[in-house]
Parts: sequence; C-alpha cells; structure tokens
Amino acid sequence: MMMFNILNAATWGDMAKKKEKGFFDFEFITWMAWTWQTAAFFIFIALCLTAMVIWEKKSPGGSPRKGILGLDTTRGDRLFISLLGSAFIHLFWLALVGSVLWIATIICIGYAVVVFKYV
Amino acid sequence: MNKTVNQKAWFFVIPVFVLVAFNAIIPLMTVVNYAFQETFGNNVFMWEGTRWFKQIMLSERFHASLGRQFLFTFIILFIQIPLGIGIALTMPKEGIGVPVCLVLMSMPLLIPWNVVGAMWNIFALPDIGFLGHSLNALGFDYNFTQQIGDAWFTTILMDVWHWTSLVVLLSYAGLRSIQPAYYQAAEIDGASRWAIFTKIELPKMKKVLTIAILLRFMDSFMIYTEPFVLTGGGPGNATAFLSIDLVKMALGQFDLGPAAAMSLIYFFIVLLVCWVFYTLMMRNEEKS
Repeated sequence: MMMFNILNAATWGDMAKKKEKGFFDFEFITWMAWTWQTAAFFIFIALCLTAMVIWEKKSPGGSPRKGILGLDTTRGDRLFISLLGSAFIHLFWLALVGSVLWIATIICIGYAVVVFKYV
Repeated sequence: MNKTVNQKAWFFVIPVFVLVAFNAIIPLMTVVNYAFQETFGNNVFMWEGTRWFKQIMLSERFHASLGRQFLFTFIILFIQIPLGIGIALTMPKEGIGVPVCLVLMSMPLLIPWNVVGAMWNIFALPDIGFLGHSLNALGFDYNFTQQIGDAWFTTILMDVWHWTSLVVLLSYAGLRSIQPAYYQAAEIDGASRWAIFTKIELPKMKKVLTIAILLRFMDSFMIYTEPFVLTGGGPGNATAFLSIDLVKMALGQFDLGPAAAMSLIYFFIVLLVCWVFYTLMMRNEEKS
C-alpha cells in the first residue's frame, strides 16, 4: 500500500519529501541508501578488524600454523576464510532453505570458531 | 634490539586511503545497501531484506550466465596459457629479434577494449569483414551475429588475440631470469628438450605463471567491453557473460536491487576462486 501512496505523489520531486526521515537522512548522502541493518553489518566488520589489530598488539606474529587443511594460515587468513565462508553459507541457506536465516548465522558462528581453532 | 618507533609514515598512507575509499569502499558499501532495498529512483528506497539474494540464487538466468562465464574463462585459459608459454619459448633470446618481438607482442595490449571489440566486429562481419567474408568464401557457413557457435568462436578468438601477449611477456620474463648454469648442467647431463622444459623452465616460471593465470582469470571473469561491442551478448543471450547480464539488469531494466545482489554474489565468487587459486599455487611453491 505504502508503495502506491508514494506513487500517488503529484510529481517525482514530491516523492523524496513524502518519505519520512530515516536513520541517516543527510541530503548529500541519501543516494547511498543507508539502513540500520547494513550500517550494523559494516560496524561489525570494522569491529572485527579493530579486534584483529588489538589481538595482534597483544600477541604479535599472527600465530601462523599448519591447519587441518594443510594450509599455512595466520589469524588474518582465518578471519578471511570465516567471513567468506559465512557469506556462502548464508547464500546457500537462502537458496536451499529460504527462511529462518538466523539459523544460518548460528551455523556461521560455529564455522568461524572451527576455522579459528583448527584451520 | 631497540628499533626507533616512528609512526609518522602512516600519514603518507592517507592519500591512498582516501583514493581507495572513494573508488572502492564507498561504492561497495552503496552496493551492499542497494542489495537489500527496492528503488524506483529519486533516492526513495524500500526495505526488501534478503529477497533479492534468494531470487538471484534461484534464478535460472543467473545460473546460465554464470555457466557461460566459467566456460568462457576456462576455454581462454586453456588456450592462452599453453599458447603463451609456447610463443615465449620460441622467441629469440638475443639480437635485434628481441625488441621487434616484444614490441609486436605488446601491440594488442595497448589497444583499448572497445576498439578491440569494434575492430573484431568489423573484421568478422560475414558480408564485408575480411575474416567473415573469407570464411564464407571458403565454404564455411559463418555468421557471428546469428549462430551461437560462431559468436563464441569469434569472442574466444578475439580474447586470445588481445591477451595471449600478456602471458607471452610474463613467461618470457620468467624464462630470461633463468641462470645459464641450469642449461649448461642440463646439456652436460644430456637432457632432452622436453626434460629441460618440465624440469627447469616450468618450475622456474611458476611464479610468473601464477600471476599470469590469476590476471587472466580475473580479467576474463570480469570481461565486459569486448563482447559487448562485438556481439552485445547475442545472439539471444548466447554470449551474455556475467557482467553483461549484470549491466542489462542494472541499467536496462533498472532493477538496482537484484543487480546489486547479483554483483555481490559475483564478487564473492571472484574472491573465492582467486583465494583457491592463490592458496593452491603457494602451497605447491612451498613443496618444491
């Protein structure tokens, strides 16, 4: 319904005005279309990177080792494998199951723990 | 040992950081934002959640263009890498031939993508193009604008013409860096040409070949301009590779949400394949 209300606006110019003020509504950046969900995602990524920096300060060297896949990985590699793997787990969950996406998120957390421990 | 701590050098990184922010990070964030929303323009967005990702993951159109993309990339890698090594091996090692060959080899690399596409389009036109007309005169039924096989043949031939030189130049650089002592030792041992190639030249070229394969993989996986100008993705959708399909969706249909979701999935696939390639090759590096 809301969609049609907006289309009923007299001109295209009115449309933007009809839209209620959002989370991040600065004129110069509206084209970036921020939502709190995506902002939270990027804050999470930034926090991950910050945590990695702090971890590296605490114990420098990245704790390289040869994991169960026979790969030489450091902490950064493990983070990369965890994040990329999580993206694919979510995508395949969407494709194969379709709903209750948070279960995929839980699987991803488990996956990340396994990667950080053994890979 | 006490090293002086001087963090001022970090300020020199700021220009690069700003540049990367504007040409990579901010656009990427925008794509992520668009992928979860629907828009009819004018900066009005409606939240759609993960709908577009689900739609793309289940879309037959996406599966088809992904399949075409992998097929194309593997075909051109399969042709260009051996061909490039072969040409590098037969290139002269000294004398006037070296600069002549290098300049001739670099020529295709210097031509802009859209010019390559336009050149090959005209070259391959069945009625007036040199290639198209000659093939038809020889009795082949060749028409790249109407027959799928011909369109693929022309696209692959064009890519091989444009990019094999890159593999040649990299392999040649790798070959030239091999110390003569290896060849002398091989000669003393009475090694065959094939043994020299597999036991000396190939292992020594491994690093440049890694780079060549990665570059060629990424470039061909993201190819857009040349097939766009040559075939426009046709006939039908026969040569609509991922990026062509993506642009059709984003700009042709103005489906920014699904297109953003598709470009993220595309990005993840590129990341994954590059990581696998790189890891496998580096692992072999350590073994040998």
